Amino acid sequence: MNDLHGIIFAYRENSDLRELVQLRNTCSVPFGGRYRLVDFALSNMVNAGIDDVGLIVYTSYQSLLDHVGSGKDWDLARKRGGLRILPPFSFAGKHGGRYRGRMDALAGVYSYLKTIRQDYVVLASGDLAANLPINEAFEQHIKSGADITAICSDTTYTDPRLCNYFSIDSQDKIVDVAASPSEVKGDVASLEVYILSKSLLMSLVDQCAAHDVSSFSQGVLLANLGKLDMRCFRFDGYIARVVSVAGYFQQNMALLDPGIRSDLFRPDRPIKTKDQSNPSTYYGPQSESVNSLISDGCIVEGTVINSILARGVRVEKGARVENCILMQRASVQEGAVLRYAIADKNVRVCQGRMLMGHGTYPLVIAKNEIV
Amino acid sequence: MLLAGGQGSRLKALTSKVAKPAVPFGGKYRIIDFPLSNCVNSGIDTVGVLTQYKPLELNSYIGSGQPWDLDVMDGGVHILPPYVQEDEKGTWYKGTANAIYQNLSFLEQYDPEYVLILSGDHIYKMDYSKMLDHHKAVGAACTISVMEVPMEEASRFGIMNVDHNDKIYEFEEKPKKPKSNLASMGIYIFTWSKLRDYLIADEKDEKSSNDFGKNIIPAMLNAGEIMTAYRFKGYWKDVGTIDSLWDANMDLLSPIQSGFDLYDPDWPIYARTSVRPPQFIGATGTLKHSIATSGDEIAGTVENSVLFHSVTVEEGATVRYSILMPGAVVKRGAMVEYAIVAERSTIGEDAHVGADKSDREDWGIAVVAQDVKVGDGAQVDAGAMITRNIKGVKA
Repeated sequence: MNDLHGIIFAYRENSDLRELVQLRNTCSVPFGGRYRLVDFALSNMVNAGIDDVGLIVYTSYQSLLDHVGSGKDWDLARKRGGLRILPPFSFAGKHGGRYRGRMDALAGVYSYLKTIRQDYVVLASGDLAANLPINEAFEQHIKSGADITAICSDTTYTDPRLCNYFSIDSQDKIVDVAASPSEVKGDVASLEVYILSKSLLMSLVDQCAAHDVSSFSQGVLLANLGKLDMRCFRFDGYIARVVSVAGYFQQNMALLDPGIRSDLFRPDRPIKTKDQSNPSTYYGPQSESVNSLISDGCIVEGTVINSILARGVRVEKGARVENCILMQRASVQEGAVLRYAIADKNVRVCQGRMLMGHGTYPLVIAKNEIV
Repeated sequence: MLLAGGQGSRLKALTSKVAKPAVPFGGKYRIIDFPLSNCVNSGIDTVGVLTQYKPLELNSYIGSGQPWDLDVMDGGVHILPPYVQEDEKGTWYKGTANAIYQNLSFLEQYDPEYVLILSGDHIYKMDYSKMLDHHKAVGAACTISVMEVPMEEASRFGIMNVDHNDKIYEFEEKPKKPKSNLASMGIYIFTWSKLRDYLIADEKDEKSSNDFGKNIIPAMLNAGEIMTAYRFKGYWKDVGTIDSLWDANMDLLSPIQSGFDLYDPDWPIYARTSVRPPQFIGATGTLKHSIATSGDEIAGTVENSVLFHSVTVEEGATVRYSILMPGAVVKRGAMVEYAIVAERSTIGEDAHVGADKSDREDWGIAVVAQDVKVGDGAQVDAGAMITRNIKGVKA
């Protein structure tokens, strides 16, 4: 056991993802074929040797709970500690159970925070796809003696309105914060992963609750500029935060690049996901598959080009799938043609149908729909 | 009770480090996954796995039984190696019947009404609960699962001769002139109280080879016990030889013709797996009439083959009619045909393993054992068995 505790904010709502978040929140959106976004945060923590993880949820979390279950697939189903799911109303029902910001959420699970047995806590959001070396950031945190360490990137990886930018000095100390600006500012972008001690976290939650400050950026980062020693840990690997359908499409397609794939799926820090006991994938005699990422349990008898297939997908004879993302158990029947489409879980595209979107506006077929 | 102690010597290099039931099969599985999954799907929640030969990998594979839902409070999966008994006269399992005899105390702990005896070297899907229904309906002491085989092949099997009610009156092991074509599948259900008596009696007979087929079944027949044949229809394959293992893997590529479908949601086959990224078929890759598994990276041409997880086929390489086990690597320009490449072995650039099917007398499936490196440009003949690294050949 190491001395770090994980807390994942697994509730981001994001209406720009349209049909993809109709029945789930952003953290359980499928990604990279067989994964869900939350798999990255969970695996990053487990790979850093973290034994105890709290998962804060509050909206459309049925699909998320179904996915994480007891935490067994991440080795988090433990007698002591392991995964704790923290739904709203479990402690206090302020603001109708809605969390206006991360400090609200932490105040909402205050009794849970008190039971944390580790001296340090890492906070992360559950919708970031990246393979983060949290243990290296933790080592730096201890060595540098910082109060708060933020994992940051030199790239502007997402919509600036969804993250904080820091100006830093030569020692990587944070000297200014631009909270959710309308355009990129500062030197580095925050991945919204923070390491701090449990005692500091508790006192910050107390302070923010006392002054009714709900936002982490306002109540922690901005309020403590110059008061606390805040530093950044630089991460230069691949990062994806899904903010729009077109972005989601491109970020998935990026995984067809072997360099990005090997950066995200490293054997030394494996990304784990729910086990479904699928057989291998069957490719029929007349099938054709090119430049595609295909999960187990699929039956491919038609043509699949530049696409990403999740588990249990069927592409029947004569069907053609190009530049598409097909989620779990989607099926494309004989002779149907799909281009630039995202077919959600269980979607069925019947014989001979033709559906086309565009790279900048991929067509989304909502979960369980039959075309 | 799953007999998993067999050496599997006919699988040669593939069982040099593991017991036969732990040999990989069908992309994601090992042979033992089939009887284990059949048990769970049939509602059996207490399974003893009898191990003896090279058990390390098999033991760790089975572990707590969690992948098969056999990690339960009462029952579950138990690994049963031979051990030193109270009289300090421990021996290896002398035969299949002796293996069960040595575990009398395990069985008595559960005090079952019926015992199902299975072997760990067959690929099939079967609902044992239906066989048990048959056993109960007949009121038999022993039920033996049989299937019809072509008469001309019957002399390769243990043959059951039955009356019009499928009651067994005679058992013949590999008869020269078979009287029926009902072959034993090595699956037995016994009424435990009966079997117990015969096991104890058999153990006292010093001449006995303590084997179900050779001793227990004939003894029960002689004593006039009610023994019945349960007819099984469907896919069943003994994968005890290189050829039959290759054949059974290839059967998965034509599920309709072979009648063996791994994608049936009502009868899932479970396996212990770890998560790897989805398989990637590159822009230069072709994958046709094949099975591929997570972690595979395919930039070459793959046809009519079964690929286990984490296999790499580089650009310009060709794989046809072959089985590539986990972690196998086929380098640029290499050709692998009619071959089995075992775990983590590498086929060097422009090397050639195996040969197209021919009538040549010495033609056969080429086998490269696990952790072997076949050097660049090297040639491996059809039917060869490679257990050591082969040096590359300079072009």
